[in-house]
Amino acid sequence: MSSIVLQQAINGIVVGSLYVLVALGLTLIYGVLVQINFAHADIVTLGAFAAYGVTHLLSGNYLAGIAAALALGAALGWLINAGIFAPLRERGSELLPLIATIGVSIMLQNAMLALLGPIPYAFDTPYSNQVIRFGPLFLTVQNVLIILVSGVSITLLYVFMKFTFLGKALRAVSQDRETAGLMGINPNYLIMLTFVIASALAGLSGAMLGPVLVLTPFAGTSVIVKAFAIVIIGGFGNVEGTILAGLLVGLIESFTTQFLDPGLIDIVVFALLLLTLAIRPTGLIAERREENV
Amino acid sequence: MNAFSTFTRSAWIASYLVVLATTSSLAADKVIKIGLLPMSGPGSYFGAQDKQGVELALDQLNKSGVNGYKFEIRYEDSACSPLPASQAAKRLIDEYKPDVLIGEECSDATLAIMPIIEQAKIPLINAGSSSIKITDPGNPWTFRIMPNEVMQGVDIATNAYKRLNARTAVLLHENTNAGIGNAQVFADTFTKLGGKVLADIGFGRDVNDFTAIATRIAGLGDVDVIPTYTLEGQGLKITQALMQASVVKGGGGKAIQLGTIWLPFGFEQKAGEAAAGYIRIVQFDPTDQRPQVRDFVQAFKAKFNSEPTHLNAHAYDQILLIADVVKRGGTDAQSIRDTLAQTKNFSGVTGSVEFDKTNQNVKMDTVHYMETKPDLSWTSLKWN
Repeated sequence: MSSIVLQQAINGIVVGSLYVLVALGLTLIYGVLVQINFAHADIVTLGAFAAYGVTHLLSGNYLAGIAAALALGAALGWLINAGIFAPLRERGSELLPLIATIGVSIMLQNAMLALLGPIPYAFDTPYSNQVIRFGPLFLTVQNVLIILVSGVSITLLYVFMKFTFLGKALRAVSQDRETAGLMGINPNYLIMLTFVIASALAGLSGAMLGPVLVLTPFAGTSVIVKAFAIVIIGGFGNVEGTILAGLLVGLIESFTTQFLDPGLIDIVVFALLLLTLAIRPTGLIAERREENV
Repeated sequence: MNAFSTFTRSAWIASYLVVLATTSSLAADKVIKIGLLPMSGPGSYFGAQDKQGVELALDQLNKSGVNGYKFEIRYEDSACSPLPASQAAKRLIDEYKPDVLIGEECSDATLAIMPIIEQAKIPLINAGSSSIKITDPGNPWTFRIMPNEVMQGVDIATNAYKRLNARTAVLLHENTNAGIGNAQVFADTFTKLGGKVLADIGFGRDVNDFTAIATRIAGLGDVDVIPTYTLEGQGLKITQALMQASVVKGGGGKAIQLGTIWLPFGFEQKAGEAAAGYIRIVQFDPTDQRPQVRDFVQAFKAKFNSEPTHLNAHAYDQILLIADVVKRGGTDAQSIRDTLAQTKNFSGVTGSVEFDKTNQNVKMDTVHYMETKPDLSWTSLKWN
């Protein structure tokens, strides 16, 4: 039994790492803009398809696929912000950009459906079925890659936010956009940077999720609500809280599957969400929103 | 999760109405109008492959027509899900006014549209939904040409026990009417024969990673068979996870996965070595030597440059059955329903059709078993 518990802990960390990658972009945008980005799920899906396409085009070079997904995500982030969100924000309405994210989401889903069709793609990387075994425990090389990429991404984001000038400026904008502007920081530039980083993370998470997901144009929607839940449990806009909540949700999923029933996963996760909202509405870690991002 | 996916799906459906009216030159007063569902969602591969079978049948039939009638079709997106299916059925009935409907594929969606088609008094021919609730206790307007979950479940459980000498099973199924119903029938039959069900594991359609489930099964000890009731996308992930956990033959284990008609041909190529040893029911055997099967395979290859799947075949049969009904005097919804109910010994490419008083096809020759070989080719097991 102990080996099963350990195996489920490994499974939970792998799934949790994927959730963290998806949720980080969401929490970043929320932290800076106090805006929910419904199109995030579709950038995840596009990242997965980009990785799939490039990997197949380059005869199984998955690492190139990951790079392509990252680049596509960043480019989309820039494009969507410059073309849609920024002009809407200038009109001073908070609702318009929110509705626009829904519009972009529907548009991207339909574009993918028209271009790629509805039939599930089998995205197997060269590492998907390479299984490493330690006695009764097993882990695919793909899973190792997921944990590594998530770990490196989280570390880089943390270092960027805490120790670089741009990161500090970004946190300043998230705390008080107007005052940050008076200090010589260009909020529009930093908002653009936020979108680019968040979307790059979405693309990257798509590349890592692609081999795990049932890959269709709607793939991203199957993880995004859980990612939203993680953002709330972790504390809106709180990077550390998001990491903790993502791993927690991954572990909850694995152990619910082992000891209860996989059909109860959503009940347990969303019960935790409600509990968090009731007991610690600011999330697992943050006490004040100003401390976030 | 469900609220969000329903919302996005509904929004998507609202914007995605596919209308493909073929044979525009047909005389308006001598046309049998057919409506078909679904085209998107997790069961979209059903719709995409159904469409091919329908197109081939219509090409053949509309060359000369039947009793002076030609056939046209309109596709509507029901997404294999109850709410969009209800909306699509209403839209189809209100706007297109079909004489007969074919589809849905997913049982939950079919159950949702049955009251609507009953109220509109339009017959529905179903070839993909297995829930027993569809024909039991019976609905005068819904006809099913495939074996229901009881017919399939009893057969596959009996074969597992007697032919595969299986004594232990783990049930894997999506938490839908069809998933739960199929698993229950298997469990009841298998247990009655003397087998033991070690676990009954249900999951939602939003589950992506099945490693945790495979780990749980690996911890259950000796498992002989794993009847699996899920759509293709999740089916792929389950099979690969079971291989990684060394549970199934493809991963060096001893368990055999069993499946029903939910998975399309080509599944094994997508799943790779993990699929080796998988035994499943399909509704169509392309190696069947009956002349109509050979002709269908040849015509399908000529039109689409690929081998036909059982989904292509059952859609083709649905249209041929409608043509047969028209040949026997069906001209509108009511007469098509009445003539359908009298169908006996219709011979299609998937097998034969004869409806009982609940409008369930009672013939079992539409059940074909196939086993995936280690080289990912498959062989017909000729168990029926």
